[in-house]
Amino acid sequence: MKPVKVCTEVAGTVWKVVAAKGANLAAGDTILVMESMKMEIPVEAPRAGTLIELRVAEGDVLREDDVVAVIE
Amino acid sequence: MSWEKEVEALRGRQRAAKEMGGPERVERQRAGGKLNVRERVEQLLDPGSFIEVGSIAGKSSYDEAGNLVSLTPASLVIGRGRIEGRNVVVAGDDFTIRGGTNEGSIRDKLTRVETMACDLRLPLIRLVDGSGGGGSAGMMDKDGHSRVPGVLGWNLVVANLNTVPVIGMALGSTAGLGSARVCASHYSIMVKETSQLFVAGPPVVNRLGAHQYEKNELGGSQIHTRNGAIDDEADSEADAFERARKFLSYLPPSVHALPPRAVTGDDPKRNVDWLIEAIPREDRKVYKMRPIVEALVDSGSFFEIGRHWGRGVITGFARLDGWPVAILASDPMHYGGAWTADASRKVSRFTQLAQLFHLPIVHLADIPGFLVGLDAEKTATIRHGVAALTAIQQTTVPWCAVIVRKAYGVAAAGHSNQSRYSVRYCWPSMRAGSLPLEGGIEAAFRKDIEAAPDPQAKIAELRERLQRLGSPFRTLEAFAYDEMIDPRETRALLCEFANLVAPLREPGPSSFGYFPI
Repeated sequence: MKPVKVCTEVAGTVWKVVAAKGANLAAGDTILVMESMKMEIPVEAPRAGTLIELRVAEGDVLREDDVVAVIE
Repeated sequence: MSWEKEVEALRGRQRAAKEMGGPERVERQRAGGKLNVRERVEQLLDPGSFIEVGSIAGKSSYDEAGNLVSLTPASLVIGRGRIEGRNVVVAGDDFTIRGGTNEGSIRDKLTRVETMACDLRLPLIRLVDGSGGGGSAGMMDKDGHSRVPGVLGWNLVVANLNTVPVIGMALGSTAGLGSARVCASHYSIMVKETSQLFVAGPPVVNRLGAHQYEKNELGGSQIHTRNGAIDDEADSEADAFERARKFLSYLPPSVHALPPRAVTGDDPKRNVDWLIEAIPREDRKVYKMRPIVEALVDSGSFFEIGRHWGRGVITGFARLDGWPVAILASDPMHYGGAWTADASRKVSRFTQLAQLFHLPIVHLADIPGFLVGLDAEKTATIRHGVAALTAIQQTTVPWCAVIVRKAYGVAAAGHSNQSRYSVRYCWPSMRAGSLPLEGGIEAAFRKDIEAAPDPQAKIAELRERLQRLGSPFRTLEAFAYDEMIDPRETRALLCEFANLVAPLREPGPSSFGYFPI
């Protein structure tokens, strides 16, 4: 299967990175948590796979639909 | 004294028409991963139920002796049939003929089918595959003059939007009038990869700039189901038909009738025990709303509409003790459930839909307000929000609101219809106000805070005091809201609501026009 880019659906700040590069994820696992509208909003794996790329770090300010990670 | 010969002549023409654009073009359609119009009609409707209208309409040619030489059918197949035993009207473009364009004789079919649906008071399903317009450069060459666009039959399209359920399906490349016919509906669907929606497709657009677009890149479902032009995407045409059938199952055949009740077999008094811990006690933590919706309504009955756009709000149909209802619910996973410009448009569209077809509305609200910030201002959030609040206040269908958590600011006024009696509940997790305390304190007590020797200590003191006042018990003791309920008993109360208001639903046109916002 082709690698899947994971995007944040909300603009905000990366509050906490939860999954490490190389992690095996199940669909729905939290990759990182955004802080937006004073809420902690998780960005989840859209499907199972290995986290081959993590493109953001804690504190990064993101816009809607920015790619945060790649899963293979 | 028999008319057998004429009947045979009719059958022969009908067989010729069913050849569509000929084997080569039909094969090209198949190779493109698409069904042809005859297959579509057959798969959409109950088996054998299709009754065609204008089955031999098209372009015919005759020899000098008056014998038929050829018949090219019109590029639109129309008629009626049944879905789950209920009558519907269907109009399907035949892309194998002139690319589905509505040139020449078949313009009349396009208007005829709209009139048929309106006057028979039956749902209309448009299977759109092509540009559907009649204003091509080829047409101008033939006519010898240009046309002023009038969008033929648009008055009928608008009449149908206020009269019968209309489903618009994009099943191939749709542009111009074709894409307009998809969007001028109450429910629109695209098929992933094999359908596109454009104002104008790559042949036109790619002449304008350096970037050369591929058709899915310019108008695929990943664009139009995220921006709200189209409600939902389907994995295949079969999936799209299934969605269309399901959508109609919650609706009456027209505004002149009431939506039918079904037997679902789910206990209306069923408690949902895990709801007592569904909402996190920590304000910053979010939760998933969809499982809550699914647990509250009749088992398996939730049909979500528009999952990928305006995502702070979840909309869909469901059943409560068998009665069809419209569900609005906040999704805190998207900006905490804040109403963005898109979410507001979605509320407007969905509320009008419920109003038009007499579906009582249940709103599971967790609204921290409108989205704030520069992006929110640039997208005219307040304007779209005002439209949503206006749509809500104009509804005459019964409302039941359950505030599950936050109700802050102007947006939260949309939790119920305040122009009339709404059934109003809240969960113990309710927090309400004109502004959340964070930021709200600084705004309201600026002078006090500035004058204090230790401004931070003053803020902390104010926060503590106001947090105590923010208890929902104080709100209810002051009868500033109706009733707090045990979340576990919510389903029983929603079913009671559905039964309570079922007799209040009134057939007839809506008091305000449906606007395809």
